[in-house]
Amino acid sequence: MNANEIVISVKDLVKVYPSAARLFGDGGKEKLAVDHVSFDIHRGEIFGLLGPNGAGKTTTIKMLSTLLIPTSGVANVLGIDVTKDSLKLRSRINLVSGGERGLYFRLTGRQNLDFFSDMYQVPRELKRKRSLELLDLVGLTDAADVRVENYSRGMKQRLHLARGLVNDPEVLFLDEPTLGLDPEIARETRALIHKLSEGGMTIMLTTHYMFEADQLCDRLAIISNGRIKGIGSPYSMKEAVRNDTVIEVEAIEISEMQKEQMKALPGVSAISLEVLEGRMMARMVVEDASSLIPTVASLLEGRKIISIRVDQPTLEDAYLKMVSSK
Amino acid sequence: MIELRAVKAALKQQSIHFFVDPQWVIPSIIAPFIFTTVTLYLFSHTGGDLLLYAVLGGGVLGMWGNTIQSSSWSIGYDRMNGTLEAIMVTPSSLSSVVLGRCIWNSFIGLLNALAVFLVAQLAFGIDVTLRDPAGFVIALFLTLISLSVLGMVFGAFYVVTRASSALFQMLEFPVYVLSGAVYSLAILPEWTRPFSYVIPATWGAEALKIACFTGYDSLGLGYWGALTVLLISTIAFLLLSLQLFSYLEHKAKVSGTLVRY
Repeated sequence: MNANEIVISVKDLVKVYPSAARLFGDGGKEKLAVDHVSFDIHRGEIFGLLGPNGAGKTTTIKMLSTLLIPTSGVANVLGIDVTKDSLKLRSRINLVSGGERGLYFRLTGRQNLDFFSDMYQVPRELKRKRSLELLDLVGLTDAADVRVENYSRGMKQRLHLARGLVNDPEVLFLDEPTLGLDPEIARETRALIHKLSEGGMTIMLTTHYMFEADQLCDRLAIISNGRIKGIGSPYSMKEAVRNDTVIEVEAIEISEMQKEQMKALPGVSAISLEVLEGRMMARMVVEDASSLIPTVASLLEGRKIISIRVDQPTLEDAYLKMVSSK
Repeated sequence: MIELRAVKAALKQQSIHFFVDPQWVIPSIIAPFIFTTVTLYLFSHTGGDLLLYAVLGGGVLGMWGNTIQSSSWSIGYDRMNGTLEAIMVTPSSLSSVVLGRCIWNSFIGLLNALAVFLVAQLAFGIDVTLRDPAGFVIALFLTLISLSVLGMVFGAFYVVTRASSALFQMLEFPVYVLSGAVYSLAILPEWTRPFSYVIPATWGAEALKIACFTGYDSLGLGYWGALTVLLISTIAFLLLSLQLFSYLEHKAKVSGTLVRY
């Protein structure tokens, strides 16, 4: 395996959606979902696309897996142009989406795998063997002949993963693979993804869970409003905010206007507001915490402040800073 | 492009769904019986060919409804289930999957026909003697295939929008009327004839009636002539559906509407 080999190459990729789906004619106001995105992914890498909802993560992954046609730009996967030769590419890649849908609920786990093995034209002599291996890999051997409608959410997600592996893909696209899973199952799913990567598979995933990106990805790209805000390893991302500090303020209530006022303070590069049980917490990425704390306290005058503390920036703060940048 | 292995896999998948999903009993078994029973009551005081006409009309309408509905709903089901993308990311074509399911639906239609004739014979005591039983079975099977193919044409629109069901509902009954399944085409206005001739089911119904009734040949082509036109028009509709799939898949990939439900 040549780890320097580029298996996914994206240059100036753009996707514009027509606003209304009509049978004939595009019509309506357009929506720019992906805006001149460029990146490369190497063989065997786990590459994450991190961003808020509607940032363009899923659109990007769907263009690379041939489910969407780019408006402009070039995307090559395994040296194949995703637009021009999608049929040739499909037998070498697979896509797994998060969530409960995407399986035939009235069929058993084994029947689901059999159907998709046939769709991928997996050699007949391999089909049964691989199906057994995959069911074992995802821990569903005992439930192989149970209908999917009786599976728990975690079991369905594991079957999704097994389905994504029926053709032994060289590149696996995972769209929010741990979406909605409980922590234990999500941890198992991440362990499985890691295991696949160790076997040499190139994996591109989308997520909006910071710790997941930090734990899993060799490199990640932060995407917001369709644009890449930064690319690098989780470590290098954190390095980008190494000289910053974080002010974390907890109060009974923080209004949207007060959040905007704090955001406008000099030296504040990002702010997030989180509603907790009976209180709210604002987290600001700042250049110099000590000089800002009195101003922040005065801005919240009249609100009951529970605590103000200074913290070291995390990957989430790096992400917030990049997403907040123009 | 049609891949035989995908066709076979889809056929098998559809058969499993049929046996595990009780809802299919309604369109596949109950609806044809209701159609047949109602028609037979209406015609119960008549006799001879007219009663057989009622068996044929009622039974055929029920079967056709099931075949055409299940075929056009094929993609709608995947859209609802969230499996449409999972299929479209594979190297097999969506049209292969739909074709496989259509073949199964046609087969079930054939079993329905047998059931309808048994009901007519055993429950209503009607003498269902066919002039040409083998010819009848061949014509029936080919007609069901042709209706499945028509279902594929309607079903292709599900690739771009779930609203296709409205289109399908709008077009289903005109097909029944224009094909002359229950009555002779002669009672329809002259200007509707070109539409009737385009629908494969018209020729299927003609071949079925020729196989049933001695001396029947309303379109003047005879049994084999009607069957040939049925075959040609079915192939034409199949090619049209493949083109539609190709065009509408491309359109859905541009507009990003594959997963909306």
